[in-house]
Amino acid sequence: MTLRPPPLTLALLLAAIGVPVALLLGLLAGSSGWGWPQGEILWLIRIPRVLAAFGTGSALALAGALIQLVTRNPLGDPHILGITSGASVGALLALLIAPVGSLFMPELGATLGALGAMSLVFALAWRSMGRGLAPSAQPGTVIVLLVGVMIGAACGAAVSFMLAIASDTQLHSLVFWLLGDLNGASLWWPAWLATTLALLLTWPRAHELDWLARGDAWAWTLGVPVAHRRRLAILAACLATGAAVATAGSIGFVGLVAPHIVRLTGLRSARVLLPFSALFGGVFLVLADTVARTLVAPAQLPVGVVSAAVGVPLFLMLLLRRRA
Amino acid sequence: MMNLPTALSLHLDKLALRAGGRADGRLLCRDLDLTVRAGERWVVLGPNGAGKSTLLVAIAGLLEPNAGSIRLENRPLHDWPAETLARQRAWCPQFWLDPFPVSAWETVACALLATHPELDSDAVQGLARSWLQRFDAAALADTDVRSLSGGERQRVALATAFAQGAPLLLLDEPTAHLDWSHQALLQELLREWSTQQGAAIIVVHDLNLAWSLSTHALLLDGQGGASWGRREDILQAEALSTAFGIPVSAQNEDTERRWFRVELEKRK
Repeated sequence: MTLRPPPLTLALLLAAIGVPVALLLGLLAGSSGWGWPQGEILWLIRIPRVLAAFGTGSALALAGALIQLVTRNPLGDPHILGITSGASVGALLALLIAPVGSLFMPELGATLGALGAMSLVFALAWRSMGRGLAPSAQPGTVIVLLVGVMIGAACGAAVSFMLAIASDTQLHSLVFWLLGDLNGASLWWPAWLATTLALLLTWPRAHELDWLARGDAWAWTLGVPVAHRRRLAILAACLATGAAVATAGSIGFVGLVAPHIVRLTGLRSARVLLPFSALFGGVFLVLADTVARTLVAPAQLPVGVVSAAVGVPLFLMLLLRRRA
Repeated sequence: MMNLPTALSLHLDKLALRAGGRADGRLLCRDLDLTVRAGERWVVLGPNGAGKSTLLVAIAGLLEPNAGSIRLENRPLHDWPAETLARQRAWCPQFWLDPFPVSAWETVACALLATHPELDSDAVQGLARSWLQRFDAAALADTDVRSLSGGERQRVALATAFAQGAPLLLLDEPTAHLDWSHQALLQELLREWSTQQGAAIIVVHDLNLAWSLSTHALLLDGQGGASWGRREDILQAEALSTAFGIPVSAQNEDTERRWFRVELEKRK
């Protein structure tokens, strides 16, 4: 199979057109039909929502790309490390016990839950994140993933427990939160901040993540401080995931597939993969959210439903067309 | 070919290695005392599990020896900063991980970028492609490495190791998947490497190939014993027979050529 990257200028051009078009569509779409919204609606509802969607998508896609690279696992996704499940526990707990009407409670709970799960991942897998140099040791990346999956499983049980004891009225908001929904997104900037921070932490030495993906030992012989780079990348991914989940709940699919779609277009080296994954994830989620708001208007769909319904065929199409 | 930095000599002092580098691991070798100088090509021979790859990994700096020390130009290996060491030795492992699609030239470019950060991207791509061409892999430059055959992937790996530009090459079974013409090509390139004052330590299994690749040899017997020196002194029928546990015969065609074969008929 021949691989040629597209010219970077073309990719930049597409991004320069795609991002404004997606944002514009997001602004124009409303529950009562298409059209330029009035001042108040534009500034207080539409713009924050579109920005929140873009930031969430970017954060998830970037986290997915980072986790795939440093665990050299094409199935890596932002939710695999248990951060999302931790956030879910926090958010659901807040929804269950908080007095009705208290502002930002699920967001605060999700942030605390994500931070808790993140600390647990780092405490349990700290050594494993640096391992993999010795030829005989079990690859550390497998242990990191397994630790994440186990934290996720434990939190998943806690979530099931809360769903089981919730009253019918609470259940609706809990389920909506779990499905991933931008309707309740009240703050747009945390996801943007986390994405920017994650890019700042990893992008300057992103090319080393490419070497790392080809084996810890080999990367080390090229002069890469393997343990340090992997911990930093996982930290960045956790921050981005935590912020995204706190903003919009657990939106699946974007983080797993956005990096793969960017790769399929030929932008493979981490230096371009990371920023373009973030751009693509942002655009994708803005469009998915636009569909979620308009498809069954005036009712709204959880954006997670749309992102999977649109993304799965899109990804399969790209994948199978390439193989043929 | 790029100009190599000045080759440094490698010293092993009373080196002992155990399996996996663990204190309770099986003894692989002890009291290894040898020096590899610029222009020398060493082959490492021994039965399966004798510790050839472990020795290479230790010399690459990835494994702390159980006793003794490894020095590059009188400076212990662990005192070298990893980035500086990358310009001194290139390690070509036996197995490669290719989890994501990537073209052959981009793989070679990784090693070039690590040691030549000053090069711009066009120069890196040009050098990567020229290295692939030297290994008869120019046509594979834009191919996904995951779709290459074993021998093709091996040539890309060798091009990557050579492209790193480090004077000391550590090649783990570089001929494993290569056909005869490419084995010959590797021999030629290694000789040329020596004339440029590069050095190489090569793990091989084929005795005839070992002879023609090398100037020196290190024979591990699999019980912790080892012998080393010039190839004509080490690659002797008796020592090889003992190490491998089968009757090996050696015939000198002239001073330059020696042939090895297994005398299976004597095995009864």
